[in-house]
Amino acid sequence: MTEGKLAMVVPGRRSEISVDAPLRDPVVIAEEFSIFYGSNEAVCQVSFNIPRNLVTAVIGPSGCGKSTYLRAINRMNDLIPRCHTKGRLVFEGQEVYGPKVDVASLRQRIGMVFQKPNPFPKSVFDNVAYGPRILGVSNRTRLAEIIERSLRRAALWDEVKDRLGDNALSLSGGQQQRMCIARALAVDPDVLLMDEPTSALDPKSTAHIEDLIGELRGQYTIVIVTHNMQQAARVSDFTAFLYEGWLIEYGLTEQIFTKPAKKQTEDYITGRFG
Amino acid sequence: MRADLLVSERKRRVRRASGLVGHSLLLSITSSSAIVVLFIFYFIFRDALPFFRLEGITEFLGSTRWYPSSSPAEFGAAAIFFGSLLVTLGAITVAMPLGVSAAVCLSDILPFNLRQAVKPVIEILAAIPSVAYGFFALVVLAPLLQENGGRILSVAVWVLGVPVLGLAVALVGDLVVGRAGSRHSLARLTAYAVLGVGALLLLSAASRALAGLEISSGTNALNVSIILGIMALPTIVSVSEDALQAAGRELREGSYALGATRAETIMRVIIPAASSGIAAAVILGIMRVIGETMVVWMASGNAAQIPSPWYNLLEPIRTLTATIAGDMGEADHVTGSARYHVLFAMAMALLVISFACNLASEWIVQRQRKKMGK
Amino acid sequence: MQLATRKLLDRSFTTLGYLSIALMAVSLLVILTPIFGRGLGAMVFKGTTEFRLLQLEKFERGDRAKVEAEQALARQARQPVYDMLAGFRQELNTMDVADQEKYRAPLRQVEEAVRELLGPFPGEQRPVMPRMQYGQTRWERALVKQQEVVSKLEYDYSDPTRMGVQVLVPRVEDFAGTSLEPIFTYVEAHLAEMLRPRWTFYPRFLTDPSLDSHMFGGIWPEVLGTFYLTLGAMLFALPMGVISAVYLVEYARESHLINFLRTCISTLAGVPSIVFALFGLAFFINSLRLTEGKSLLAGSLTLGCLVLPTVIRASEEAIRAVPHTYKEAALSLGAGRWHTIMTVILPAALPGILTGTVISMGRAAGETAPIIFTAAVSVGRPLNLFTAKFWEILSQPTPALPWNVYNLCTEHEAVDEIRHVQYGMVLALVLLVLLLNATAIILRARISRKLRG
Repeated sequence: MTEGKLAMVVPGRRSEISVDAPLRDPVVIAEEFSIFYGSNEAVCQVSFNIPRNLVTAVIGPSGCGKSTYLRAINRMNDLIPRCHTKGRLVFEGQEVYGPKVDVASLRQRIGMVFQKPNPFPKSVFDNVAYGPRILGVSNRTRLAEIIERSLRRAALWDEVKDRLGDNALSLSGGQQQRMCIARALAVDPDVLLMDEPTSALDPKSTAHIEDLIGELRGQYTIVIVTHNMQQAARVSDFTAFLYEGWLIEYGLTEQIFTKPAKKQTEDYITGRFG
Repeated sequence: MRADLLVSERKRRVRRASGLVGHSLLLSITSSSAIVVLFIFYFIFRDALPFFRLEGITEFLGSTRWYPSSSPAEFGAAAIFFGSLLVTLGAITVAMPLGVSAAVCLSDILPFNLRQAVKPVIEILAAIPSVAYGFFALVVLAPLLQENGGRILSVAVWVLGVPVLGLAVALVGDLVVGRAGSRHSLARLTAYAVLGVGALLLLSAASRALAGLEISSGTNALNVSIILGIMALPTIVSVSEDALQAAGRELREGSYALGATRAETIMRVIIPAASSGIAAAVILGIMRVIGETMVVWMASGNAAQIPSPWYNLLEPIRTLTATIAGDMGEADHVTGSARYHVLFAMAMALLVISFACNLASEWIVQRQRKKMGK
Repeated sequence: MQLATRKLLDRSFTTLGYLSIALMAVSLLVILTPIFGRGLGAMVFKGTTEFRLLQLEKFERGDRAKVEAEQALARQARQPVYDMLAGFRQELNTMDVADQEKYRAPLRQVEEAVRELLGPFPGEQRPVMPRMQYGQTRWERALVKQQEVVSKLEYDYSDPTRMGVQVLVPRVEDFAGTSLEPIFTYVEAHLAEMLRPRWTFYPRFLTDPSLDSHMFGGIWPEVLGTFYLTLGAMLFALPMGVISAVYLVEYARESHLINFLRTCISTLAGVPSIVFALFGLAFFINSLRLTEGKSLLAGSLTLGCLVLPTVIRASEEAIRAVPHTYKEAALSLGAGRWHTIMTVILPAALPGILTGTVISMGRAAGETAPIIFTAAVSVGRPLNLFTAKFWEILSQPTPALPWNVYNLCTEHEAVDEIRHVQYGMVLALVLLVLLLNATAIILRARISRKLRG
């Protein structure tokens, strides 16, 4: 059936996870959650939970709404004028789209890494220090500590520790992306959203970042959107499959990729469409 | 660094209030930038209307007798309006063919390196202050015209005539031979020879006639037209070049693929496609020329008269801008008099004309954009 | 049409194109060459001993001993001229009435011409006006004045078909047979010894104040005035322009009000410069009565209004050019909108804004019309920014390079004498504007390098 494709899944790690982790300890809960662009329903009444300190992948063919869903979690969709939502999206017990929510604080607790690395045209130091500085940290020593810690967590410290003053645009593509991850980690978020983080990188840098995701798992809740199924299978614990805005199937990655419940899922995974 | 997701009611209200204050502050600053133009219209109109109340409009536009300081004062500004019109016409005659062909050359003919070398030339032409152009017109060009005017004009006729007439000869010769149906190269050569001789005769007759010309005063409409034409060039060239570039590579590729030469592609496809942009460029050039003060003030001769015949560029004339600049010095301290207000009336005319040109060029661009479906 | 003709047409089309570009370049060259050539002549020229004497007496420059020695030598060479003139004057008093009538006027003309050439006669009372206290300071002018000593201008009306032609008639004919006859050949032969010309480098032309309405000295008041006016204009236009641009790009939502504002700003860009002048006069001076008459303040504000649309347009473009991924990244880290603008967007847009600023400065420095009624005077005291009171500077009218070029060319009483000053002023103005534009181009080149890492 589908076994040949999934030789990349490492069974040993996955066996610790129980299938009800999303229900027991969810960080983000979506209940009949829809996102509209004007009158076009881009995400249709999805309901699933993101479990704590595990990696959840959102997969599906292009245009299925996975990026839209991701950007709703930290309300980056607010930047789009005709975008509005229906249903409930809850983060740590709080309604994300509630009237009293402070969006800036929300975004500090939910970090984001974008598809194309987007460092500021400033030095590496200033890039990573941007978040903490907003939060009021001005002491130079304290900043340096935070920056070192974040760069270490992003597995970039050894490569840039002598070049913190250099322009961030002079780093290679993979290094820039890891720096963006460090920058997001510097404000100590609970959740890290990753929108196709390796699609603009070469295979070596991609492998680096996937290793990084494995290391961050356990300390951070990670939601990764990817169109690369093998990547989803490699790095994630749970997987959600979206198609044309609808949630088709959600469950343990191991189960989705070996015994998918829905035929559509199986068709997508075996490459019959998308 | 654990941030509270919810903010207190008070903090939220404070934040909304400060956001509103900030937003309104920014809006008011932006509005003041825009309000400046409304003020300009108001103050010019306010000080122009008393003139029309005092003197009426028929003499202003109809009579050519401009004697504001005699008594009774006469405010016939028709000659001055004509002067502005004449130099604008002259300048555009110089600038439009030159500018459009330069733009065409820049967009389609020049290789990349030469293009980068030519751009600074255009930028420098645009950056030179108008008083420097006026200085050149008064101190260098005027004496030159006065002493050697005829000779310069006859040389200019040759320089400009040879390429243009040469092209015409080739075209007409080919047409005639084609019509006659003969395929002999000899027939073509004969046609070229005959037409060529005719063209040469025409040119030498024209040049001889011009060489005998005596220019009584070097500060005249011709001087000003040439300099204003050079000043309008950068505007026309850069806006036309943008329009030509915007026609797109696909259009050019389609034409070349059908076997057209570069000249045919440009003349039959690109220029028509970019025609509205080029029209807008010419209108912007007109705006620039009509509003120019220093060059005309220094080098047009400042004679409020309609030349005879009307197209005689070798006579001095006066423009609206030069009249405002020149007469205000005397009229300044007599605020409230018709002399003071008539200058504002002229400014009002200038304002209305440039506003109309602005609207026209924007309308043309909008219409083209709608046609292309952008 | 035959293929050969089509090819011919194509080639001639190309030639026409190249011709028009060449014509443009040639016209630029034709305009700039005299300005640069003779403009440099204001600073690099053959100066006479009178020039060095003037620098010593009026500006306290130069080696006193050397200058005085030179003057002594010059006086030695000039003595025969004075002797001949004095001698002939005495002779005149002894002549009969008819001869006196015949020679009196020509003698006076010669004496005047010599005074203009060499300065006041020795022993004469020193004139009050500086321009009469010295002989010709520039060798080229001296040669012209020598012509006036040696010959006079007359009109030949013999040809009825043409207007009167100017003819030079040697003066020696007037004094044929008298003791004054040899003076003319002497002057021609010994002019260099009487004036001792030497190549002079006078860069202080740009920083010296003018003496006796530009007959001597430099153009510093105009340079300073232009500097003040430009600075004032930018102090007004830059903050308003950048803030308006930020609002229009980042905050404004499409609405009738915003469209109206944009139309207003683009209309402002098309207003002719002389209309700005009248507006400045009517609004700042007559209505608001900011200052009593022309002033630096009114001129700066008027110029600021003129360049405002350019600043707004350039800033808008610069802000729009900032990749919107920067904004996304900053917002996703929890920054507020205003914070994002101040810490990420504006710094990234800064080089573009700076380029627009520098280009606007060039425009403000070169514009003449707006300052005619609002700020410019032909002669004025340069006010030092550090010693004079602030309001004093703002409320005074000021000379400025563009206006004074016009003034010197048309309304000055000795237009031909100060040709070099006119050229020098135009050169200073053109160089200033070209320098500013070159800076803008360099800035623009560095932007692309910086943003691309």
